[in-house]
Amino acid sequence: MAFLVHDARHLERPARPFGGGSERSRAGRRLWRVDLLQAAAVASVAVAIALFLAEGGITRFADPGSALTSLGIIAGLAATDLVLVMLLLAARVPLIERAVGHDAAMALHNRLGKPVLSLLLAHGVLLLAGYAIADGVDLVAEAVAIWNLPDLPLAILGFGLFLAVVVSSLVAVRRKLRYEVWHVIHLLVYVAVLAALPHQFSVGGLFAVGTWQWAYWLVITFGTFAAVVGYRVVAPVVASLRHGLVVERIDPVGDQRDGVVSVTMRGRRLAALRATGGQFFIWRFLAAGQWWQAHPYSLSAAPRGDRLRITVRALGDGSASLAGIRPGTRVALEGPYGIFSEASRSRRRLTLVAAGIGVTPIRSLLESATFRPGEATVVLRTQGPAEGWLLDEVRDLCHRRGATLITVPGGRGRGWLTPSAERQGLDLPALVPAVADSDLYVCGPRGWAEGVISEARAAGLTDEQIHHERFDW
Amino acid sequence: MRTRALLLASAASAAAIIGGWQLGTAATDSLTTAGGSTTTDGSAATDGSTGSSATGSTGDSGTSGSDASAGSSATDAAASSGAATSTSGATDGTYAGTTVSTRFGDAQVQVTISGGAITDVTALQLPDHDGRSVQISNRAASVLQSEVLQAQSSSVSMVSGATYTSSAYLQSLQAALDAAGF
Repeated sequence: MAFLVHDARHLERPARPFGGGSERSRAGRRLWRVDLLQAAAVASVAVAIALFLAEGGITRFADPGSALTSLGIIAGLAATDLVLVMLLLAARVPLIERAVGHDAAMALHNRLGKPVLSLLLAHGVLLLAGYAIADGVDLVAEAVAIWNLPDLPLAILGFGLFLAVVVSSLVAVRRKLRYEVWHVIHLLVYVAVLAALPHQFSVGGLFAVGTWQWAYWLVITFGTFAAVVGYRVVAPVVASLRHGLVVERIDPVGDQRDGVVSVTMRGRRLAALRATGGQFFIWRFLAAGQWWQAHPYSLSAAPRGDRLRITVRALGDGSASLAGIRPGTRVALEGPYGIFSEASRSRRRLTLVAAGIGVTPIRSLLESATFRPGEATVVLRTQGPAEGWLLDEVRDLCHRRGATLITVPGGRGRGWLTPSAERQGLDLPALVPAVADSDLYVCGPRGWAEGVISEARAAGLTDEQIHHERFDW
Repeated sequence: MRTRALLLASAASAAAIIGGWQLGTAATDSLTTAGGSTTTDGSAATDGSTGSSATGSTGDSGTSGSDASAGSSATDAAASSGAATSTSGATDGTYAGTTVSTRFGDAQVQVTISGGAITDVTALQLPDHDGRSVQISNRAASVLQSEVLQAQSSSVSMVSGATYTSSAYLQSLQAALDAAGF
């Protein structure tokens, strides 16, 4: 069953002959930035290899020993370059965050871990074999000789730390770890990179002082570390001090037993954050037992004046104790992040789909998105036809802005809808006839969201039209 | 990745790698001809521009290792005192070769002539900019030393995996032999 709570479809007017298409051209510009960034990431690996080839060329491959050694060095250079790319992807660099989005950047970051580990292993094995052939000794003797090279034990320690970081991030392992434990292990990656650095300058003679290669590696290594320190440490501290955010009030949402609360915070000069509906911040409530936990929560209302609001359900250890936070608690923030917002629009029409507490960014996006009456449709999976978190607010917004609101109440069926809705043969195009020519924003549990997205693809939506953000990093 | 990103990435990467390879190959062409001026006073010739510094600038001198002797007939002053006895015309004594620079460090070889034969070759200096170079240099030096003593000339094959060191070593050796009039 699906309920048409508010129907605004009849309000839609034809697109203006001129002035339309601004969403498309903005999407076009953003996608150019995405493509250029991706190309730059790949090309940086190629440049690292090219600079190596520029010193030695064919002589690097003159005999089997040299060839193996060269391949080993190339593997190491590619791995180092990719580690720096990974650090940049996680550094919340505004250029990357605004073009690619936090979610996609972190997805790529995650995907690179294992390939880099393989490259590092290949680096060690190929160099050991190459050196052994060149020196005419067996692998064991060569391993001993290598161990005595300057800075090598330190580099092997770095590899061990990197291995620990990747293993702790494997899905099966990570699930067993507390977030904070995982995070501390993850921070070891900076130690790993720094431990590996000296041998790159002292063993291979590769980065001889004054060469192009030396300059390139110095610049990208310290540039990356500067970005990490700047955007992940300095910028959040400065923003937190500048805006002086404080919890103003905490209101229960819906049934008390669900433990859902809205937290309204007040601060100074919040307009300077340039946050919009649909975006999220990483929050830290500076109260005893809380300050060391960082929570990524979406805004549940568009920023207005000196106030920001989030709506949170008791998920994970942190959220449960959020209810204990009192008005007056100071709040540190990092952000705004994410392009689950106007920034990623590509069409005039808008379709917003949410399940459960996933309604929060949808609610704030509905408030700040650009659309004319009749151009937006909200589909909510709720507990009841007229009960759901923030449903009253969403209904008011739909009335005010001329958006259609559909609720699909009940438990989940095989797809993303309820069993009764599925029996009726309902699907996304049936609920939202114009979905194929709209921007689709999806927020909810992962499996459910995948159901919506695959149906959207089947309905003909392209990747640039589908916007989805994961929060379970 | 979208098609456009893939094309951009492939084009940029291909250009970078081909460019790097070309540069590297052009620079190392001069390595095999072992150019560079050869002054026989080894201690003075420490300017970094000689030898195979992989910058490609050394090839333009046009001198190969073999004709370095052309200008060295009158330079036996650098040698120690000793009686001219041998049939080869070499004066007994100890001679230091030129210092030859490589990107891994400088190399300089000293040769001892006795009774008209090479009786000892010692490396005064070998490429040592980094740990791995030291390992390679030490290995190459002992191989080259025994080969030179056996061949009684600098015409021995390079040690594989130690191209730079071998080339610089033999170039310095040839300069020392020229100084000795060997």
